[in-house]
Amino acid sequence: MEGIVRFFENSGFANATPGHFLMILVGLIFIFLAIRYEYKPLLLVPIGFGILIGNTPFVEHTGLHLGIYEDGSVMNYLYMGVLKGIFPPLIFLGIGAMTDFSPLISNPKLILLGAAAQIGIFLTYLGAISLGFTNPESASIGIIGGADGPTAIFLSSKLAPHLIGSIAIAAYSYMALLPVIQPPIMRLLTTKQERRIKMKPPRSVSKLEKTLFPVVALLLTGFIAPGSLPLLGMLFLGNLLKESMVTKRLADTAKNTIIDIVTIILGVTIGASTQATTFLTRESIFIFVLGATAFMISTAGGVLFAKIMNFFLSPENKINPLIGAAGVSAVPDSALVVQIEGLKADPDNHLIMHAMAPNVAGVIGSAVAAGIMMSLLLK
Amino acid sequence: MTTVVQLLPIDLSAIGKLHLTFAVIGYSIVFVSLFLLYLVFSLLPMLFTRNLRRKFKKEGGEEKAALADNKVPGEVSAAIATAISLYLEELHDQESAILTIKKVGKSYSPWNSKIYNVINFNRFQR
Repeated sequence: MEGIVRFFENSGFANATPGHFLMILVGLIFIFLAIRYEYKPLLLVPIGFGILIGNTPFVEHTGLHLGIYEDGSVMNYLYMGVLKGIFPPLIFLGIGAMTDFSPLISNPKLILLGAAAQIGIFLTYLGAISLGFTNPESASIGIIGGADGPTAIFLSSKLAPHLIGSIAIAAYSYMALLPVIQPPIMRLLTTKQERRIKMKPPRSVSKLEKTLFPVVALLLTGFIAPGSLPLLGMLFLGNLLKESMVTKRLADTAKNTIIDIVTIILGVTIGASTQATTFLTRESIFIFVLGATAFMISTAGGVLFAKIMNFFLSPENKINPLIGAAGVSAVPDSALVVQIEGLKADPDNHLIMHAMAPNVAGVIGSAVAAGIMMSLLLK
Repeated sequence: MTTVVQLLPIDLSAIGKLHLTFAVIGYSIVFVSLFLLYLVFSLLPMLFTRNLRRKFKKEGGEEKAALADNKVPGEVSAAIATAISLYLEELHDQESAILTIKKVGKSYSPWNSKIYNVINFNRFQR
């Protein structure tokens, strides 16, 4: 009888709290959104399932080593890749091997839109300070505005490891919700006439330019912000593997096998790190509010800067301000949002190729921002 | 009506000079580094064109040198690439002479005799 009682005491039924059920509901919503509406399924399915794993109630610290926060548990070992900042650079390697920088090389002025959109990071940093977060915590929250999951995880693993779960969940949730967050801001800040602007088709980019880009960009950004080297180093390495055309096998491994394996482990562990006992706090709610604000400010920053640039450009070189919204990295989702909004204004105006330029520039910009914050704040 | 912002305990006085400086410097560095990237990749094509022009001039004089300034739009390159690809896929110069006859049977071996019979049985059934 005593054994049965002990068994029951160790079961999930005896240890469940309303918090656990709430988080399980969140996990189920993630899985539902991913499968039913195909919102970022590659991320939301592992994260959603990770939330279920992390929030199935059990008795902690009994020597069974089950929880992600218990030393020696399997999940704890896997989580080390997040805490030590190992997974984000590996994801960047795969992203680099998948990314085509030619839209950016063919029209380099669009790089500036990627820079402008990073304003959300720094304004949200100030917002977080005003809500009582410490300097490193605020920087980690601000980076959500870069709309880049791996960058957000990387920076928070260095500056505020206790907030990784909330920051990652906020970043990925809002990335999945980009089609809902961005369009109203884009429409609010532009006129119908501006949304109809047709841009010149991009010129062809030579192989030499494409091969030189990762090398030059790495040296340039690396010398300015060495803190971004783990991310940008891997991003540009992946891109060189692709563009050099002599390392096809390595590029294929980086963009398929490596990124897939890391995405699964990263997603599950990030999800599991949202244990109700540590996740459901006042801070998490603030982080979600600040994250949404960061996305909105970054979108507005990109669109407004495109409008400012148009003052200085000749009529035939004018930019469609919608593409400024793609400056919030989130490759290629924000570029797709721009394409859809562009088509709504003019069914013949395809903006996706143009939007990819600020989009990939945003990836570089947010990684540089993370590097700067790390070098200035890491003790 | 109470908004979410009103519910948040925002204290703007917590933002000090140091925080503002950090934000301004941080954003400026991001902007400068991407601006430099813009500069480099705006100048690079000009450099390539100049070198190409010099090379063409050496090979075929002023007339050929003018070709270096021709910028091919991406759409044109894509059309050319598609045409070449379609053309190459249409080539049949190394086509096999045997078009329809394929060896379907498996050579007999004591190791596969059972499965050999089963396969043939299925085929006869059809």
